[in-house]
Amino acid sequence: MIMRPGQQQLLLPVNPVFIWGSLLVAMVIDMLPLGRTGWMPDVLALVIVFWGVHQPARIGIGAAFVFGLCMDVQQSALLGQHALSYITLSYFAITIHRRLLWYPVLSQAVQLLPLFALSQLIELGIRMAGGGLFPGWTMALAPVLQSVLWPLATALLLAPQRRAPEPDANRPL
Amino acid sequence: MPLGTLDRTAPPLFNQGPSALSKLILFSAVALFLMVADARFKVVQPIRTVVGAVLYPVQWVAMQPVLLVRGGARYVEDLQSAQRIEADARKELAMQAQRASQADTLVRENARLRSLLELRQTTQTPSRAAEVLFDAADPYTRKVVIDQGANHGILAGSPVIDERGVLGQVTQVLPFTSEVTLVIDRDLSIPVQNTRTGVRTVAFGDVDARGGGLELRYMTSHADLQTGDVLATSGVDGVYPAGLPVARIDNIERRADTAFARVHGVPFAAVTAARYVLVLAPVGDPVPQAYPGVAGAAAPAADGAGKKKADAAKKGEAAAKDAGAGGGAKEGAKGPAKEPARSAAAGPGAKPPARAAKPAETRPGGQR
Repeated sequence: MIMRPGQQQLLLPVNPVFIWGSLLVAMVIDMLPLGRTGWMPDVLALVIVFWGVHQPARIGIGAAFVFGLCMDVQQSALLGQHALSYITLSYFAITIHRRLLWYPVLSQAVQLLPLFALSQLIELGIRMAGGGLFPGWTMALAPVLQSVLWPLATALLLAPQRRAPEPDANRPL
Repeated sequence: MPLGTLDRTAPPLFNQGPSALSKLILFSAVALFLMVADARFKVVQPIRTVVGAVLYPVQWVAMQPVLLVRGGARYVEDLQSAQRIEADARKELAMQAQRASQADTLVRENARLRSLLELRQTTQTPSRAAEVLFDAADPYTRKVVIDQGANHGILAGSPVIDERGVLGQVTQVLPFTSEVTLVIDRDLSIPVQNTRTGVRTVAFGDVDARGGGLELRYMTSHADLQTGDVLATSGVDGVYPAGLPVARIDNIERRADTAFARVHGVPFAAVTAARYVLVLAPVGDPVPQAYPGVAGAAAPAADGAGKKKADAAKKGEAAAKDAGAGGGAKEGAKGPAKEPARSAAAGPGAKPPARAAKPAETRPGGQR
């Protein structure tokens, strides 16, 4: 493992159960029946990109495809719409993962914005071609919100790997 | 340093499986195939059913916090508003009681008159109550999800009403839930009758109109329409029972530059706030048997018309061949080329107009 500039400590190995658990929780968050809002950030897409960047050997394009199909059925969207958007996200996440992690977290968020915007545009293009309604300009907020959530996702999802290797009285976790 | 500090499995150096790009191409192709299959050929219904059944527990979990908040909000609702709601409900009940007693008399009277005129008796439609679980999150359509599915005997194509009028039509049946396309969705259309004049037309969904409404297309600018006219289902479609209120006309724009008027209606049903709905059994057989599960709202009419056209074309071809065999080689050579086209064109027109006015018809200029 390489210690990058700005990295405080060596990370513990990741727990696969935690990866899949976090993906499942993100899916549940996306499935919360909060009504029809175009600007709602897609938390599942964010988590897929996060694990694509941090653990490209474990969460790849296949997983992104399966989660995309689940979202399509749940949202009663065109079957394959979210799947295509998520596999694109996952592919670009894997492509940039070596470069991205050398930057500080805020800079990472800025660099991911075009990626999220691209996935949103793919969905919009598919639905417009299929004769859907234009959902309004508020949907342009969704990629921005996803980027804003990136530092939070980094803090939350890396927390288990930042625990002390030898728990003692001062650092019980 | 304890053993668990570092990842002790070496990363695979040589056996890394297919590259990311090849995986991207493969899965993109699968996704594109699924999209085309879903939008055009309706062959992915089993996949939807299976994924829907598997996802149901996850959906249930996701629903709990929202239900909890909803229930909590109702719990802390103050006494005054509860009493006000009760008073309103009682008032409405009293008004309905009067109408109900009238209705009983009218039903008897109507039955007698109908038997005198030797008309077919109207029958009661079986129905099933359902609760709206949530608005489908897809912002490109207008759908809601109800808590009754194939396991409860819901059929694709069934009309759905709330206490005020027609809410929409069931367009997708999953094992435990179903999706209802609302009347304001652009892909849904309902054959209606103006209750004042008796004119039959088809109302199309129109989301762009203030908060969602319906639109009557191709009404000439001198058509007898007034603001406030009530549109009710006409019952000629074989899906909706006749006489259910659908919408009230609230705006008519007559313009000098076109021969058609723009007519907008507001649906009676609470399309954005419905809680409890009634799923009616379709009057006829709404979905052609070749397509047991209709995925999009557009299927029945388009597919039905397409199939009939094809049948007509086939018949025409057969007839032309017969003629060719009987009449001579020259006739036979030009027959099959021209006859099918003509009979296909004549096919739909020869049928009664009721067949053309099926619900859930596509937009004439649309993609499908």
